[in-house]
Amino acid sequence: MTGHVSIKLASERVNHCVAANNELPRFYTPGEVISGMQDFMRGHGTYTEDDCLKSSVAGVMQKVNKLICIRPLKSRYVGEIGDVVVGRVLEVQQRRWKIETNSRLDSVLQLSSVNLPGGELRRRSAEDEQMMRKHLQEGDLISAEVQSVFSDGSLSLHTRSLKYGKLVQGTLVKVFPSLIKRRKNHFHNLPCGISVIIGNNGYIWISPQQQDILLEDNKDEIQNYELQPVSRTDRETMARVKNCIAALVASKMMLDDTSIMFAFEESLKYDNVKDLLDPEAMLDIAFLAQHRINTVMED
Amino acid sequence: MAGPLLSSTEKIFILHGVQNDYRSDGRSNIDYRPMELETDVVSHASGSARLRLANTDILVGVKTEIDVPKPDNPGKGKIEFFVDCSANATPEFEGRGGEQLANSISNMMQRAYHTSQAFNLKQLCIFEGKQCWKLYVDILILECGGNLCDAVSLAVKAALFNTRLPFVKAALMDGGNVDLQLSDDPYDSKQLDIGCAPLLVTLCKIGDKCVVDPSAEEESCSVISLVVGVTGNPKFYCTEDTTNILNVECKCSTIGMNGPGSVAPKTLKDAINQGIIAAKCLDEALGKALLRERQETIVMKKHSYGFLK
Amino acid sequence: MPGPDLLSSQGLRLDGRRPNELRRIRCKLGVFTQPDGSAYLEQGNTKVLAAVYGPHQASKSKTSTDGVVVNCQYSMATFSTGERKNRPRGDRKSQEMSLHLRQSLTAAIKTELYPRSQIDVYVEVLQADGGAYCASVNAATLALVDAGIPLKAYACACTASIAWRGSEPEPLVDVGHVEEAAGGVCLTVSSLPSTRSVALLELSHKLHMDYFDVVLSRAMQGCRDIEVILDRAVREHLAEGWTKQDVVTI
Repeated sequence: MTGHVSIKLASERVNHCVAANNELPRFYTPGEVISGMQDFMRGHGTYTEDDCLKSSVAGVMQKVNKLICIRPLKSRYVGEIGDVVVGRVLEVQQRRWKIETNSRLDSVLQLSSVNLPGGELRRRSAEDEQMMRKHLQEGDLISAEVQSVFSDGSLSLHTRSLKYGKLVQGTLVKVFPSLIKRRKNHFHNLPCGISVIIGNNGYIWISPQQQDILLEDNKDEIQNYELQPVSRTDRETMARVKNCIAALVASKMMLDDTSIMFAFEESLKYDNVKDLLDPEAMLDIAFLAQHRINTVMED
Repeated sequence: MAGPLLSSTEKIFILHGVQNDYRSDGRSNIDYRPMELETDVVSHASGSARLRLANTDILVGVKTEIDVPKPDNPGKGKIEFFVDCSANATPEFEGRGGEQLANSISNMMQRAYHTSQAFNLKQLCIFEGKQCWKLYVDILILECGGNLCDAVSLAVKAALFNTRLPFVKAALMDGGNVDLQLSDDPYDSKQLDIGCAPLLVTLCKIGDKCVVDPSAEEESCSVISLVVGVTGNPKFYCTEDTTNILNVECKCSTIGMNGPGSVAPKTLKDAINQGIIAAKCLDEALGKALLRERQETIVMKKHSYGFLK
Repeated sequence: MPGPDLLSSQGLRLDGRRPNELRRIRCKLGVFTQPDGSAYLEQGNTKVLAAVYGPHQASKSKTSTDGVVVNCQYSMATFSTGERKNRPRGDRKSQEMSLHLRQSLTAAIKTELYPRSQIDVYVEVLQADGGAYCASVNAATLALVDAGIPLKAYACACTASIAWRGSEPEPLVDVGHVEEAAGGVCLTVSSLPSTRSVALLELSHKLHMDYFDVVLSRAMQGCRDIEVILDRAVREHLAEGWTKQDVVTI
């Protein structure tokens, strides 16, 4: 009964770079002049000085009509209305929860922005306020949607839809928000039999697929379901997905259901999920996934 | 250290995983995450090593000084451990935030190296009763991804393996003073015999089972963890024919417990045995890696990678 | 003005550099995974790690509605110097360094963008061989860039000293430990080279005001040279991390 130990040398370190194409875009770095002012509008990552539009971060330019933004390679999450996020409850306060969403400031979930048992159009009573911790307590994870952005940049969230709300058993993976593609759908039931929520804020939730038919008011059953052990096969698949995401992230590849599934399929040649922790295997998977993405894009 | 905040259901998921002997990254309860090692990374130190275990990053520098031996141990040198939790690892360590954790690790190391079967302090003697070497083993924690103790002990052993003491000629002068002559040639130096140096193995009790190499999330699920210090086997650290080297049995040189929980004696005994087995595996892997690196530096001049690659 | 002999008769410095030559700078962005930004920088034998956390919600005692709070900590590994240090931080020298670091970085960060937030910058000197402060500023700048924090310009720091060739003054750029120890003048300048402004200036030992300008301009030139090196490193880092899907053209 001996465990697996592997110690590599720094000289054997692998370079995770899988840069797919040789043509690089124009990069801008802090303080660099983008253009004379003419008639451009100043967006994120830019500022004006001496009648010039300058970049304030290191990244690539995005132009929407006259609006110029510079998007950095990585940064904290900048929320937009309608984004799907995964967040963690930090604090229960008066009629609201403080949620950590990897943003610059903590986000807020108002008591009035959650679905409480017993229908939507119910008045929030004083009793509800006292029951807040029953509903969500410190440390709990939720999926939610960005409802509005305050003037200081902090986010107000809501969970007023059945697909949002408290997350139960599963694992959380944290990545840079810039690796997440904005898509119409961020809830995926992957063909391998598990579900992932790819939060725009870079928090990814991996969990077994819900055996639906859970009725809102059948509290006991939900409680029971939450504590039920996850089956071994689900667990193996989840671990594989988790390690595949780690491999994609190490090579700084964009994450969506396609790239995760490609990596997952490529990883199947490694029988043992733990073999995917090895840096060489990670690079191999990322490389093969990137190759498949390139072929898809060419078609 | 408080560790990451987890929800109760995430904890249940981890707990069931440990019961199933299948953890959330696919490891079994006795598997370590991959590690990376480099020695000789700090030029201002006599010996140094950097070890990265997943996200945990440890840098160790060994500095030497000439000192007077303790009167009750005239023939022995001194070794001292100092741990610094850099705020680079987590903002919690800012100011004096990491001091408590740092002290508990350095005390653990001090205890593990205390016995002569773990580390022979006689090799640090220069002139009995008058002069000896004092080794300062300075440990810097640069990133925390769980399992600090094991990573620290591995990095320390690697740094000691890398340490070279200059040859010193000592002669007794009149009046009881000792005259020391340091060799001018920097290559005229000796290596330390660290074959027996101990490694620490943390066994994290989650539910009623123990796991090695816990991740930060797993650490915050556990109410108590057991740290076992196990002496090494010199045969893993020499290149010559190993037949004439005594095959030394691993011994426990220290045991410590962290956390508010408690353990049943039966679990404790199993855990210690599990720790001894894990330590043996670690020791063998570390020895192989160090010898491989030494072999590489003989063939070509060492290229220092450090943080650059 | 007889000072220590810092130049040989051939006009070379104690470590063989020419008076206007920087030590070799090597650096890398994104060396750690947990912080929002990190960087490693070597300037000769001086080696520094920097990590940036944030911007995140400011702690209640520090919060400011005007702009982001920049919190810095400078710390030196106990094995970083020739003589072993007893304490990595908390002594007067490192507290002063932390304040100076904050001053240089606050000048570069666009603080007004992020009210009620906080940015933590931690610098760990692994090896000190002269100019540790300068290397810290340069590494911290790279870590801020890595974290995607908006900057007006790169903040670069460089030292300069003065030596004598005959009776002619010859300013020296990027003072090494040997030259520092020899006891010459040491002018530390931290600047935003692209805006040509100085964020912090510190002078140790005496310097005749007549020569102040030449020494300052040499230090500023050093900052500009460093900016070029940092900019190249940032571009290399971008090229490595960039994947094709990244660019969204609308």
